[in-house]
Amino acid sequence: MTAGKSVLLVEDNELNRDMMVRRLNRAGLQVTTAGNGQQALDIMRAEQPSVVLMDMNLPILDGWAASRRAKEDERIRHIPIIALTAHATEAYRLYALAAGCDDYATKPVDFPGLLNKINKLTNA
Amino acid sequence: MSLRRQLTLSLVTILMLFAVNVGTHFWGSYARNESMVAYRNSVTAAQLSTEVEQLLEDQRQQILILATLRETTEDQLDDAELQRAEDAIETINARIQELGKLSHGVTELSYEQLWESSSHLLKRWLNFYRNYNNPDFELDMNDPLPFLEASQRLKELEQSQAFIAAQRANIIDRTISLTDKITIIAFFASIFLTATLGYYLVSYTNRSLKRLKKGTERFGSGDLDYRIDDIDDTGELGDLADAFNEMSDKLRNAIYDVRKARDDADEANAAKSIFLANVSHELRTPLNAIIGYSEMLHDELADVGELNRPQFQQDLDIIIKSGRQLLTLIDDILDLSKIETGKMSLHCENFSPTAIIKQACEALAPLLHNNNNKLQIDELHELPVLYNDAAKFRQIFTNLLSNAIKFTRDGQISVSARELPDRPGWAEFAIRDTGIGMTSEQLSRVFDAFVQADSSTSANYGGTGLGLAICRQFCDLMGGTIEVESEVGMGSTFKVLIPSDPE
Repeated sequence: MTAGKSVLLVEDNELNRDMMVRRLNRAGLQVTTAGNGQQALDIMRAEQPSVVLMDMNLPILDGWAASRRAKEDERIRHIPIIALTAHATEAYRLYALAAGCDDYATKPVDFPGLLNKINKLTNA
Repeated sequence: MSLRRQLTLSLVTILMLFAVNVGTHFWGSYARNESMVAYRNSVTAAQLSTEVEQLLEDQRQQILILATLRETTEDQLDDAELQRAEDAIETINARIQELGKLSHGVTELSYEQLWESSSHLLKRWLNFYRNYNNPDFELDMNDPLPFLEASQRLKELEQSQAFIAAQRANIIDRTISLTDKITIIAFFASIFLTATLGYYLVSYTNRSLKRLKKGTERFGSGDLDYRIDDIDDTGELGDLADAFNEMSDKLRNAIYDVRKARDDADEANAAKSIFLANVSHELRTPLNAIIGYSEMLHDELADVGELNRPQFQQDLDIIIKSGRQLLTLIDDILDLSKIETGKMSLHCENFSPTAIIKQACEALAPLLHNNNNKLQIDELHELPVLYNDAAKFRQIFTNLLSNAIKFTRDGQISVSARELPDRPGWAEFAIRDTGIGMTSEQLSRVFDAFVQADSSTSANYGGTGLGLAICRQFCDLMGGTIEVESEVGMGSTFKVLIPSDPE
């Protein structure tokens, strides 16, 4: 289902990043990583990943701004973005959707649920 | 002028008019009475004059007859006849004297002239009677002059009495007319004044009361900025309006206070919600690692193949570390909550801050090496023994030192301490690092809960964002202060002052 798809994981926390990379790899996804929003935009343009998992609290350019810019860019606006954040309130969900994110997942991550979301967005 | 004074003044005026009326009446009566007496005297005097005139005329006739008889007959006057004649003359004299009693002022002169001529005449007549029987006595009784003169004087007196009577009658008429006029004028003035006063009072109180009513209605409908300021009265109604205005002021202030209290409560509520959202966020971050790594290890254990033991060990360490971080976070949250509800108490004891600083530095030594930092303990003078909360002192120092280590890489951290020279018994310590530093905007919020310089700071450097908030609260509790100086890229310096006694 998810095999062969490429995922861009945007996460500035090394522990979380390593863990997610290993779990996504184990699920058969190809993973590239970025440590901040700007880097994420560059990689999206260069590598055109199937889906982006975007942490929101990022240095240099945060996840909300990066999502907004991605959706303004012709070349990458089609790439679905899933917001991944420890902010669990409804307000933050709406905030992320307003910034252009296609879906929203809270930390701690419900991994099977996250894979479902990835599937739904990449098979659409 | 106050309403009471206006009323009093008007009533006094009406009473005075009433008094004028009564006074006029009495004065009129008195004046009439006086003139009446004078008038009556004049009338009586006129009657007397007529009577005297008649008596004189009769006496003269009698004397003329007797004079003729004396010449023609030898008849003598007997004693009884003489006595009667003398009595008659005495009666005339008495009557004239009565006239004198009634005369005064204007008639005085006429009377004196009358008295003079009549005395002369009566003496002459008396002389005639007394010498009637004396044959040698010669008296011409035919001479009319003395009688005519007396008669003339009497007429003059009569005329002047009549004149006075007319004059007095005239005065009486005038007095009556004057008192009538005064009475009528005072009466109408009283009526006019009473009516005017009544009208004024009714319209004035009506107008003022309407304004008061309007004002209270406006106040009642919530318009507390309204002012009853169009009452042209400095008295009772003005006072009432002032009282209403003051009441509205106080109400407005009270409402303002209530609104402010409500806003404060709302603000506190909002702050609490934000705090809870932050707590949720902070708890989720280490939980993400704990759950994520545990699930991953669980899945990997199910995989076929060799278990990578060192990797497994490392992953478990991460879980343990995150768990401990979570525990610290929960402890910090509980501490902050205790402080905020006022339940955090001090446990004071005598302790040596120098010893605690040394112990804490040793305890944190392993962390130093992780970031390749050097610790320099300089100017660590022997601090005075403090009577304060040693555990909180240790927590403050450890927090600040671990912060300095956390935010510094390949740098130097220096610790210094001294007793304040100008405040004996106060201990000061400073922790200076050469770490990432803060902007002035970050500096201004550095002691607020859940604030780290950057949203990604906690991810990169760890920590809950509660440490400095707790340090500040503990310093306050212990009667001390904490301050910070910092510059981006140049490092930060935290300085803490603790008194020997929290009191």
